[in-house]
Amino acid sequence: MAADETVYSAEPLLRSPERFAAAARADLRVVPRSAWRMWVRRLQARHRASRLGYAWLPVPALALALTWVYLDHVRVVRFGDTGIPYLAYVLSGVVLWQVFAEGLQAPLRALGDARHMLTKARLPHEAWLASAALDVALNLLVRLAVLVVVLVAAGTSLRAAIVLAPLGMVALLVLGFAIGLALTPVGLLYEDVGQALTVVAGFWFFLTPVVYPWPADLAGDSLIALNPVTPLVVTTRAWLTGAPGAEPAQLAGVGAGAVVLLVAGWLVYRLARPHLVARL
Amino acid sequence: MTASGEPVVRVDHLTKRYAGDLRTSLRYALRDIGRELVPHRSPGAARPGEFAALDDVSFELRPGEALAVVGPNGAGKSTLLKVLYGLVKPDGGEARIRGRVGALIELGTGFDEVLTGRENIAVNAAILGLSEDELATATEDVLAFAELEDAADMPVRYYSSGMRARLAFAVAAHLRPDVLLVDEVLAVGDFAFQRKCFRHMQRFLDGGGALLLVSHNVFLVQTLCTRGMLLECGVCTFAGTAVDTVARYLAVRQPRPAAGGALAAADGTAPVTVEGISAARPGGGPPATGEPLTVTVRYRCAAPVEAAWGFTIWTGDHWVCVAGDHDLRPRRLEREGELRATIPRLPLLAGTYVLRAVVVDPETLLPFALYGHGDEAPAVVEITTPPGVHHNALTAMQQLVTIDVDWD
Repeated sequence: MAADETVYSAEPLLRSPERFAAAARADLRVVPRSAWRMWVRRLQARHRASRLGYAWLPVPALALALTWVYLDHVRVVRFGDTGIPYLAYVLSGVVLWQVFAEGLQAPLRALGDARHMLTKARLPHEAWLASAALDVALNLLVRLAVLVVVLVAAGTSLRAAIVLAPLGMVALLVLGFAIGLALTPVGLLYEDVGQALTVVAGFWFFLTPVVYPWPADLAGDSLIALNPVTPLVVTTRAWLTGAPGAEPAQLAGVGAGAVVLLVAGWLVYRLARPHLVARL
Repeated sequence: MTASGEPVVRVDHLTKRYAGDLRTSLRYALRDIGRELVPHRSPGAARPGEFAALDDVSFELRPGEALAVVGPNGAGKSTLLKVLYGLVKPDGGEARIRGRVGALIELGTGFDEVLTGRENIAVNAAILGLSEDELATATEDVLAFAELEDAADMPVRYYSSGMRARLAFAVAAHLRPDVLLVDEVLAVGDFAFQRKCFRHMQRFLDGGGALLLVSHNVFLVQTLCTRGMLLECGVCTFAGTAVDTVARYLAVRQPRPAAGGALAAADGTAPVTVEGISAARPGGGPPATGEPLTVTVRYRCAAPVEAAWGFTIWTGDHWVCVAGDHDLRPRRLEREGELRATIPRLPLLAGTYVLRAVVVDPETLLPFALYGHGDEAPAVVEITTPPGVHHNALTAMQQLVTIDVDWD
């Protein structure tokens, strides 16, 4: 086969792994530039029609955190000692949870919104995925800035371990994104997946120690303990705020698994792509 | 440029199937994805509920060649382009393409709506692997060609359909493709831009590019393409010269007369307007069988223009074209005037007929003006036949024309 020759055939793409890998590499080469341009422009376009613009980014996390603080304050819910001021505890938990939750929904949402283009233009789909990941990362950075201000205002002293927090945040993003990407091929075909993701994310929130203290007095095989998001949220929050319960080894294990799942999900998506485009 | 003589596109027994029912289609999609994960499994045969959008299509395209793909709606033309562009995967056979591919799958689509025109150019250039230096040059070329310099930094969502069309063609054609896949390029856009596209495609071919053109516009196909392929229900039913392919297409299609609308200038005005068509005997009197008949077209032009013209005579029910002719030699049309042609001996028998006219661009054969094909009523002509036993017999049989016969 000539170097500049492209072959489209009915054979499974993995029948020729080197050709499959070469195509993936070629697409990845153009993704950073395309994704960055798309993301910047989309960001500008999104905030152009808004008076408050970027100020909206931390609002959901703050609103959710303040709701739980209020519920705790009026004793509707009592979670006991969290080791640090409850506001700092719940706000950091919500910010970290939202990294995971937004990462979970990002791939399907990004590609679903672009479906009219996917059928006509040969832009690498990874550009939309990367652009969506950048969105989640920006949201995180803004919320993190607000969180640090709140932590300082609440009298929480910043610790050296805070420098490890980005690792946990990246792990949360990768885990959410990996699960979301793994579901995307089916999700682009069946709307049920998008609907189910919204429902599951709500349920998942309560299975993660975001608003209640951890470690709790629960059996080791409880859903909360088995929840892969638990060690990520708990450990990252501990690094950020000094809250108890850090499990760095578990975080590393889940993080490594998330990276494997992300790569596997990406490769499966590439295999599925022409079949998806034919049905969009 | 690709080595001359070697095919840049080689399509071999290409097949693509779709399921008509959505639920079935989605179920098959899951199976197809599952099959990708098992590399040793061979592609399967047609499944229940599937139809072939492309069925065993083969052809080659060499540098400098233009292949027209014609056929009715649903024939598989756009599917062929999508397979060749790598958007969808074939279910059988293969396609090999050498070099860069530029494509217009649907004119004016395929852009990211929130990106500006300039940014969309950059993204497309990145996909084609252009360097930053090449991008800088190509961007200016694209914007200049599309006449969008002033709108370059405006998000594409604010572009009109004409602006999108111009940008789409300019992007596909200017990012130095070796193979250009074009679907209905001249379906929109003003006259000047269509002409510009036509000339650009000619230069692209002269420079060794290979063009695969999908179009319903039989004039464009015949003028631009050397070869043609007729697709019907996914099957290539004819392959030959573009002219022969169009002839075959028209024969199977039972065409209505219009082949696309008339061209309009950027401001929406037509370069030529036909104000009326009439037919009369040169010496006076009603049109009659066997007598000369002069057809006169009255026109008005926005500005003097080179044009060619023709007329057709149809049965009174507007359905059957009985006769007609075109003179494709260019002639200068002033701001207003008349075009005339004389039939020395009218062969039509008595009856009611309608006259239609077309004025075309002699270079592209795209119509400047159509008369009687659209909303305006064609001219009605009553033809009389001198009474006689012979003519009465022919008229009684509803014969339309007389022919000269040498009897032994």
